[in-house]
Amino acid sequence: MKISKLKKLWHLPLLLAILVQFWPLIFMISTSFKDMNQIFQASLNPLPIPPTMVNYETVLNNFPFFTFLNNTLFIAIFITVIKLVTSVLAAFAFVYYDFKYKEVIFNSMLLTFFIPFTVLIMPNYLLMSKLGLLNTPWGVILPQLVDGMGIFLMRQTMRGIPKALLEAAILENASPLQVLYKVILPLIRPSATAISIFFFIDAWNEYFWPLLVLQDKGMYTLPLALQMFISAEGGSEWGIAMAVAMLTCLPPLILYFVSQRFILNTFMQSGVKG
Amino acid sequence: MSGILIFIREENNMHKNNWQAWLFLLPAMLLFLIFFYRPLIENLYLSFFQWNMISPTMKFVGITNYHSIFAGAELLKIFFNTIFLVFILLILNFVLPYIYSYILGHLITKLQSFYRSALFLPSTISLAVASIIFLWFYNPIAGPLSIILNSIGLESPRWFKEDGLVIIAIATIIAWKSFGYNLIVMLAAMVAVPKELIEAAKLENASNWIVFKRIILPMTSPTALYVFTITIVFGLQYMLVPVNMITQGGPNQGSSNLVYIVYQYAFVFFQTGKSAAFAVLTMIFYVVILLAKYKFIDKKVHYEN
Repeated sequence: MKISKLKKLWHLPLLLAILVQFWPLIFMISTSFKDMNQIFQASLNPLPIPPTMVNYETVLNNFPFFTFLNNTLFIAIFITVIKLVTSVLAAFAFVYYDFKYKEVIFNSMLLTFFIPFTVLIMPNYLLMSKLGLLNTPWGVILPQLVDGMGIFLMRQTMRGIPKALLEAAILENASPLQVLYKVILPLIRPSATAISIFFFIDAWNEYFWPLLVLQDKGMYTLPLALQMFISAEGGSEWGIAMAVAMLTCLPPLILYFVSQRFILNTFMQSGVKG
Repeated sequence: MSGILIFIREENNMHKNNWQAWLFLLPAMLLFLIFFYRPLIENLYLSFFQWNMISPTMKFVGITNYHSIFAGAELLKIFFNTIFLVFILLILNFVLPYIYSYILGHLITKLQSFYRSALFLPSTISLAVASIIFLWFYNPIAGPLSIILNSIGLESPRWFKEDGLVIIAIATIIAWKSFGYNLIVMLAAMVAVPKELIEAAKLENASNWIVFKRIILPMTSPTALYVFTITIVFGLQYMLVPVNMITQGGPNQGSSNLVYIVYQYAFVFFQTGKSAAFAVLTMIFYVVILLAKYKFIDKKVHYEN
């Protein structure tokens, strides 16, 4: 009896953590439904009373919101698809073939995970400039296709496939591509979906590299557009900024809600060595 | 037939089918060579030149760029800024998730998957969004924090305009985003610790602290090292967004650091040579961290054998 009561006390720090992690989102949501007066007079009140849609109307009517949305979608979808294909192919080679320098190549790809993108930005920027890809979606997409984590996670997943299943296909003289397509892909679909969603969310959220490459406002992605609504001088339109913030994080949140079990299981593997 | 790699049932086949492996690897390898390894080498090259990114000619200056970095007072300042930021991040994103994963994995029996899902949620949100929210939270005139401080008779400092405070404020934004992911990774190692081992220790009246020190700590240390590393690496990566959106490295380089300065010299001051030299130094900083980590892990493996 005493022990079980003590055990319940451990929920307190967890609830506190949830409060700390959620209040920024609660403030974002409530502020996006407040008008200027409510924002400044009752910034602590989490309930917008009465709620107003004025910020959302401004965003949809006065700004090219759907252009930003399209730009973000285009970039995120291409990054997701290309990364998925290249990392599945690479993981396939790492799991099912033996070749010279295998470990060296694998480690040199994994290393990219640990090196900050910043040390690469200037040379990559100069290359994009030479190729004439500045201010285009492809200039944003190309350098972001490098991803050691994706290859690592795919490899972990493929390793879990029982060898016997593959042996059967080989005995029927299937080519490696057929084995990959007909046997392996159906088996890894849950993890591959989770990894793709993780690629998509990451690409969707990216701020820094698009900021350097994209100059025209018409090319902006949603995270970039956010910066248009704040100013260092303090004259920021907080309600509008929060409405854009809200719309920016909605797609990743929806994806997370529908696939959280897969995503969490995949992420839990990512720290496992071997 | 078990225990052998597929497509290699005979030793000879391994060499025959080798080219297929390279074909599958080719797309990824090209991307890594062009957008990762080429830039690293180009940085080394550019670091010996003086160039403003626009002029058609570059001037070879030898090690002048490195010399001016080590001669200036700036390096020391941004080095300490980096260390201070990393220190706060290690507390918020390494020590805290470590403790929380223990509570979540072994001290409570209900609601585990709820806490897991809820605490991970902020990791899916864009840092640009997080920066906007926290910029409002820390707003010294009408932001929520200033109102709380006012109500207990304190005046809100200008968080993003003062040395030291600015790094703390930036760190909280990064910590908010990273906490969930680090917790989940740590939790995977926690739940892998056999429950019987802990129960046996509890039967002998070991306290939670003793269990943590004697059983959990040694058994989860490889993952802990991984989380330790990504706390630093991801932390300094994530830092770019709030610093760029909110402070641009200010006040007076008070929130700049070894990673941000690489961007500043290239795209704010247009001194590519110095930016490249800083990039090379930053790379060395990271290689030292990674080497330290591998050495430590190697030791651990030996110990367990």
